[in-house]
Amino acid sequence: MAKHFLVLSILVLAIGVAFLASAQDRQVAKSSAAIAPTTGAASAATGQPVHDSAEERSEGEKRFKANCGRCHMAPQKFPPRMMATILRHMRVRATLTDEDTRLILHYMTE
Amino acid sequence: MDPAFAGGYRTSPLQRLALALILLLTFASSLCAQSEDSDSQRPVPIFSAGMGFITPFQGGQANLDPLISPIFLVPIGDRWLIESRDTFESDFSQPPGSNTFHGVIQKEVDYLQLDYIANPHVTVTLGRYLTPFGIFNERLYPIWIRDLQSDPLILPISTGPSNASTGAMFRGGFAISPKVELNYATYYSTLITVSPVDSDRSAGARVGIFLPNQRLEVGGSFQHLLEDERSNSFGFHFAWQPPPIPLDIRAEYARSRRGSGYWVESAYRLSQVAEAEDFLRHVQLVARIQQFFVGALPSEVLPPANTQEFEFGLNYYFRDNLRLVSSYGRQFSSIGNENVWTVGITYRIVTPIGRAEGN
Repeated sequence: MAKHFLVLSILVLAIGVAFLASAQDRQVAKSSAAIAPTTGAASAATGQPVHDSAEERSEGEKRFKANCGRCHMAPQKFPPRMMATILRHMRVRATLTDEDTRLILHYMTE
Repeated sequence: MDPAFAGGYRTSPLQRLALALILLLTFASSLCAQSEDSDSQRPVPIFSAGMGFITPFQGGQANLDPLISPIFLVPIGDRWLIESRDTFESDFSQPPGSNTFHGVIQKEVDYLQLDYIANPHVTVTLGRYLTPFGIFNERLYPIWIRDLQSDPLILPISTGPSNASTGAMFRGGFAISPKVELNYATYYSTLITVSPVDSDRSAGARVGIFLPNQRLEVGGSFQHLLEDERSNSFGFHFAWQPPPIPLDIRAEYARSRRGSGYWVESAYRLSQVAEAEDFLRHVQLVARIQQFFVGALPSEVLPPANTQEFEFGLNYYFRDNLRLVSSYGRQFSSIGNENVWTVGITYRIVTPIGRAEGN
């Protein structure tokens, strides 16, 4: 019983933290949006923000090969609304980071 | 499943309260998130299916194994996803003296889960999900992905009935530095004895370190079984794609009280061979070695004796979603050695449910 209580308490606490973090992220995103219309990605090679679309595409291709290519061949490109769903699925399945997901989506929908 | 533990399916008031809190918090978060990105490209529900027809020959006995795994992905709002995968498969075999093949269709709910992307680093999953122990079960299992059609011998270790768990899971990934990423999954599963959604009561976690520039991942898994012998099990995984060549190297090790073992697999695409490039770039060569050692406790799903196996595969990709697969292997164990052949075809479809173009 004590073990179950501990496990369930951790789950509840973790969801609470996730909720708070989510709210905080939204607040930060709104602030960022007020400052700049788009938020650049961090380049995996340099750690510097990626502002240029061509650079984002290149970074997206690189992350696609590094993350998706680990398990399966490159699929054909699908329409953007399908890719958005597939990337959401793969974000969960392959534990992609937020940046990986965004850049790969950008690359796959160009 | 031990019938003595069937009573564990009942939940206590405390568990029900905790579950209610989890649901309340999760839905509260979602309501706050629904208004975001209303003008962005909205994801569309998708139907996908992996299917195949495999003919294994084991110990001189031919079987016919058709399989289909329908997948539904239903995104809701900006942060939610309902996803499910079922498997319908059969193992038709020829009884002695018979000219026809007989078999029954087996049904499994691989996963039926609700995902909530809470923030860039945390995704909450509720429902039935693939047990995140090692990497094969979650990432390499689908018939259209796996390079060799037979399961690794150690796959049943700590993955539970049908390789799935039922409960809650937290998972995600983030960059530790520009060159290092960390991914994690931690979960709690409850006991369910009703097939095809049965699961063990357990808690566990998996952590991986990924170096994207080197395309190298190493990680470990841990699980504590909260029923039966209440034992611990652990495992390690390794995956590497050397960037200059089309080579995949993967390996897993797992240890529990019911058995232990490892597998190492490499797969090489002949896309860099200059001669007959149009043909050879579709060809993949695969090799796998594996060993299993029986544990202190018996198991119905693991080999009954110490076993070694090597296997070679030859796959031909017509397209990224259609391929011919074949393999030859030999299994060595104290209860007899035997050859294992497979030939077959695998295919995967993806189609939107609704309008896929535009917003």
